[in-house]
Amino acid sequence: MKSIRTYLLLALIAIITLVTFLSLLQGYQASIAKAQQLFDDRLQSMAAMISNANQDLHPHNAGTEKLSSTVFFQILADDFSLLARSNNATTPLLSVDNDPVISGFKDINFSGYRWRVYILKDDILNRWIITGERSDIRYILAENVVTESIIPIVLAIPIAAFIIWIAIGVGLKPLRELTGQLRNKQADDLSPVLMNNTPEELTTLVATTNALLQRLNDAFVREQQFAADAAHELRTPISILKVQLHNLQNNEHISEAALLPLASGIERMGLVIEQILSLYRHSPEQALVKQSDIDLSAIVQSIIAKDYDQIATKQQKISLSGGEKCLVAGNQFALETLVQNLISNASKYTPNQGEIQVTSKHITSGIRLIIEDSGPGIPKEAYERVFERFYRVDGDRHDSGILGCGLGLAIVKHIVNLHRAKITLNHSTQLGGLKVVIDFPKNSMR
Amino acid sequence: MQVLLIEDDIALAEALMQSLKYEGFAVNHLTQGKQAITSIKTELPDIVILDLGLPDIDGTEVLKLIRQESADLPVLVLTARITLEDKVNGLDLGADDYLAKPFEVAELMARLRVFERRASSSKHSGLSIGNVRIDSASHQVSVTGENIDLSRREFMLLKALMENAGRVQTRYSLESKLYSWGEEVASNTIEVHIHHLRKKLPDNFIQTIRGIGYIVQSA
Repeated sequence: MKSIRTYLLLALIAIITLVTFLSLLQGYQASIAKAQQLFDDRLQSMAAMISNANQDLHPHNAGTEKLSSTVFFQILADDFSLLARSNNATTPLLSVDNDPVISGFKDINFSGYRWRVYILKDDILNRWIITGERSDIRYILAENVVTESIIPIVLAIPIAAFIIWIAIGVGLKPLRELTGQLRNKQADDLSPVLMNNTPEELTTLVATTNALLQRLNDAFVREQQFAADAAHELRTPISILKVQLHNLQNNEHISEAALLPLASGIERMGLVIEQILSLYRHSPEQALVKQSDIDLSAIVQSIIAKDYDQIATKQQKISLSGGEKCLVAGNQFALETLVQNLISNASKYTPNQGEIQVTSKHITSGIRLIIEDSGPGIPKEAYERVFERFYRVDGDRHDSGILGCGLGLAIVKHIVNLHRAKITLNHSTQLGGLKVVIDFPKNSMR
Repeated sequence: MQVLLIEDDIALAEALMQSLKYEGFAVNHLTQGKQAITSIKTELPDIVILDLGLPDIDGTEVLKLIRQESADLPVLVLTARITLEDKVNGLDLGADDYLAKPFEVAELMARLRVFERRASSSKHSGLSIGNVRIDSASHQVSVTGENIDLSRREFMLLKALMENAGRVQTRYSLESKLYSWGEEVASNTIEVHIHHLRKKLPDNFIQTIRGIGYIVQSA
């Protein structure tokens, strides 16, 4: 069933049509019979009238009367000779060859038509009076009368269809409202569905849906809270590990090589925790509350300044082009995380002495941020997948033991979505590596 | 340099003390905020490293009390709270710097060295990097022993870069150090000052990171 409304309309119209048709058929037959009865009565009284009005007729002065072509009369003597007639009935309709003539109604053929005739035997004057009427005209008349009464009913069906369509529409309004509310929900909006005057049929549906949304929301909050708490609690222990590692590195009796796996393990653990935290920190509710106009260029500058150690260690060249004030309506912390992840990725995957170029500029549709590097880039097939959580190009066989956990770009994507921006990956024709382009709309978030 | 470490996590504190001692700092360690206040009142340390999550009173309270005691005692806040609000709040309350856990020890040391240089350039009026020496008391700058003339702005710019040696200074942060709020700053002012400074300093002493800012490498 494609639509309840269409189904109900079609079903109701079909039923109405069928019932109307049956009753019309019945009515038509009854009406036609009644009309025939009336016409017959008329024929009969006409015969009586003619008989009374022409008492003194004699066969010798047989006269004619002008009548319309659809009716006729004849007055015949006992020997079936014409005493009087209408002008359209020239020959006597009764003769001695006929079966014994009796009074009453009869259907006969005459002058090319079928006629309904009434034969009246005037016993006093001993003569026959015949009145006739063309059968087809009678039917046309009868039909006209009946049709006149049927037409309004037939015409009423489309009007009924229209009214039913509207009535069903009104009846289904709560359902439409519910559908609309569910459809307009953002994927991450788990607030309950609110309806005034919920009809009986929908109360259970609405209640169940809301209970489901509530449970889902609770689960989400618990998951977020758990991840955030766990990660938060791990910060101090990781700090201890890092400081102790540093102390060991200062110890001349321990070789640097022995500490390397320890160092990379701690580094990696720290990274995962930070990434998990920033993934859950940027929930839409939070981001939307704490938004303001933020200069993207200033963020790029401060992030590069902050992370310059990493870039300097790899002797990479980094620069910011454009750099004019690029205001984006958004969340400062989220945008910092976004820029930090992209720049740190670029530096990580670009070899020593490589180049990273950041551009921030105004374009007609808003603000554009470009980050390109001279690294190996990402194969085209992986462009979509790199945004998935814990996905890494080439999986665990990721070359050169670069630290990472596959959350960075998932976070980037998440923040980009929050700001209604668009991210595209490309091949950098200028530097040969990856080119990340993020377009922020003029009124991101609002 | 006398460092007061206020940190309630014993394991972290012990590890940190070892690192700090290795770097040549003298370290005292306290686990509670109230003790720390008393200690600062009796003897002023050179630098305070403060963890915000303390068992007795909140770290921000301690920070406020420290500021009442001494306006220019450098305080580096160490914390697991790293939202922007926490950061802004901490700096507003008078922290000189802010480091989120888990941190790199190298980063911590670099920041402590900035404090150290700042202290030395104001107290002992001397700070040298390579063959450039800056004397904040007499506003003298010398390159391989020969004095050079700098305008007031150029001097402040060089001082900011040298005190923060090894860390990139963005154009914006330099502007805010040179000019007070509301003062009109042309977009290329810093570039012009740097251009003049470079002529008087050894080649490559101030490096440009295009679009971002400038850096003086620590020796």
